[in-house]
Amino acid sequence: MTAAHTAKAYRKLGANPYRPWPARITSITQLTATEKLFELRLIDEHVREEFSFTAGQFVELSIFGIGEAPISISSAPSKQGFIELCIRQTGTVTNAIHRMRCGDVVGIRGPFGRGFPFEEMENHDVLLVAGGLGIAPLKSLINHVHDERHAFGKVTILLGARNPAELLFRQEFDMWKHRQDFDLMMTVDQPDDSWDGEVGLVTRLFDRVDIDPDNTYGAICGPPVMYPFVVEEMRKKHLDVDRIYVSVERRMKCGIGMCGHCAVGHQYTCIEGPVFSYWEAINLREAI
Amino acid sequence: MIYKIIEKWALEDLFEGLRANYDEVVGPQPSKGHGGPALVFDKLTNFNDLRLDYDTTILPPKKYFLNPDERILRFNRSTGDVFDTEPVQISRAIFGMHPCDINALLLLDQIFLGDYVDPYYQAARKSTFIIGTSCMPSPGHICNAFGSDEVHRGFDLFLTDLGDRYFLSCATVPAAELVDKYLDAREPVAADISDFQARTRQFKAAFKYLPQMDQLPLLYGAKYEDEDLWNQIGDDCLSCGACSMVCPVCHCFDVRDKLDANGETGLRHRVWDSCNFSEFAEVAHDYNFRPTHTSRVRYRFFHKFVGNFTRNGKMLCVGCSRCNRACKVGITPARVIRALQEDANANVGAETPDSADTVSAKKDCA
Repeated sequence: MTAAHTAKAYRKLGANPYRPWPARITSITQLTATEKLFELRLIDEHVREEFSFTAGQFVELSIFGIGEAPISISSAPSKQGFIELCIRQTGTVTNAIHRMRCGDVVGIRGPFGRGFPFEEMENHDVLLVAGGLGIAPLKSLINHVHDERHAFGKVTILLGARNPAELLFRQEFDMWKHRQDFDLMMTVDQPDDSWDGEVGLVTRLFDRVDIDPDNTYGAICGPPVMYPFVVEEMRKKHLDVDRIYVSVERRMKCGIGMCGHCAVGHQYTCIEGPVFSYWEAINLREAI
Repeated sequence: MIYKIIEKWALEDLFEGLRANYDEVVGPQPSKGHGGPALVFDKLTNFNDLRLDYDTTILPPKKYFLNPDERILRFNRSTGDVFDTEPVQISRAIFGMHPCDINALLLLDQIFLGDYVDPYYQAARKSTFIIGTSCMPSPGHICNAFGSDEVHRGFDLFLTDLGDRYFLSCATVPAAELVDKYLDAREPVAADISDFQARTRQFKAAFKYLPQMDQLPLLYGAKYEDEDLWNQIGDDCLSCGACSMVCPVCHCFDVRDKLDANGETGLRHRVWDSCNFSEFAEVAHDYNFRPTHTSRVRYRFFHKFVGNFTRNGKMLCVGCSRCNRACKVGITPARVIRALQEDANANVGAETPDSADTVSAKKDCA
């Protein structure tokens, strides 16, 4: 899915690209003290049919009267009819949705941007690394790999958080630990009494990672400071920089390549990103 | 393209023809508010207000295509109902756009009429009749550096001043019809073309300064991290954003919701923005990707000279000089280009012993 795809869907629906589609909140899950997972359903049936996305793409979330904010989709493309957004309470829009309840209506525009190159990744091993809220965009890819498990080789997932209370989707991932078809490792910086797992930064987990560099794709999402360190670990495992994908955070306002807010180097995060190969990212001024 | 010749006095007939066919005719004229020598594009009711021999205006005609405050959406908070606002359908003729401003529109077309189409820009573009006019360079005009001193499309009608008459280029059917109906135009003869060529030579010779554009995008990239260079240029920046407002190609915008007094319904607005404003690149948790004014100045010119050039093949500057006049601290495209072209080692002659050392030292490094 690309800009051309979403543009075409908007044309087909006869809508101008600034128009958000009404979507109802169908479920809210409190994940941590500051993050909730919102499940949304686009109200209009035709819109729902046209709305298709790939892991790594984002939507513009409208809270009418407050404004818009870009939020990455956390659910898998295979989950039809609903999208999930993992949202941290941090700005005016995100604070507003945190005050909303099931049944309330918000606006959704999109999907926008370029997601992970899942077609290229298929039939290969994948190494997925997330730190903190970086799990929000990566969760879509993890869910996609989960739903299409047969299409991927070995799957290694590394998750890091500041402390156990901030580890997103912990319950879900605790169950995955017992699965044979995923190699899942979690670590926290500051353990508490509930934690009996690894302690330290996510890079620590790489000691136990064993990959075939010629057959593996890497994907990283997390705070900007994390990228160089994780990439260095991946490089030590001989992964090429153009096979490592990162998701970049910017203030996408329009999502359609016009408002200029999300420019990185010579590209727009909302059109050519937010997912870039690491090679692309280091060649974009100020991207990483 | 059809070429015609009209006498100068026939211009008023053209103006009356436009008045008869369009809701509004706008053109460069003395500013009513300022009273001073500054010219502005504004509604023309009297032909004698029109100044076709102008050097520049405060704001470019961009304001007619990108409203400084466009209402892009009407909404109802509680029901979630959303209504598109209809683009304003006023037919307008712009009388007297310079080649730089027409070229600027062609650049904006690339941005607003791509995969995604901005309906407001598109509507304005479709309902606007453009009459271009030739000009003579004033000090500070560097359109020659960007190839925007000439324009070959993007207008309906273009007038080239040949002293006592105009050389007309009709590019569209409405233009040809207008000329047919309201003007007593004749076919150009050899003498007209000869005068046109002489006028072009005179125009090209009038440029006193041509910025050195060689390898500019590459140099920008290579000197991007040169802190001294960027501090020298950007340190004085006031982050006022005036340069963006008066720029014919700066198009960044912000999106804001405004509630009506009933607290239920409201409008979403699209307003002009500038990458020189401090919060432009701010994301969640108040993290700012360009926190200093120097970093914002560096980015703004990067987007103009490298970003769009790499992405769309064109630099986002037409050399119109409006920002030169608007900037209170003298940060101009020409200055940035000069600084980038400056060679720290250029004054070291090839034959001096010092330079020989430098060359060999460089070789050692390589």
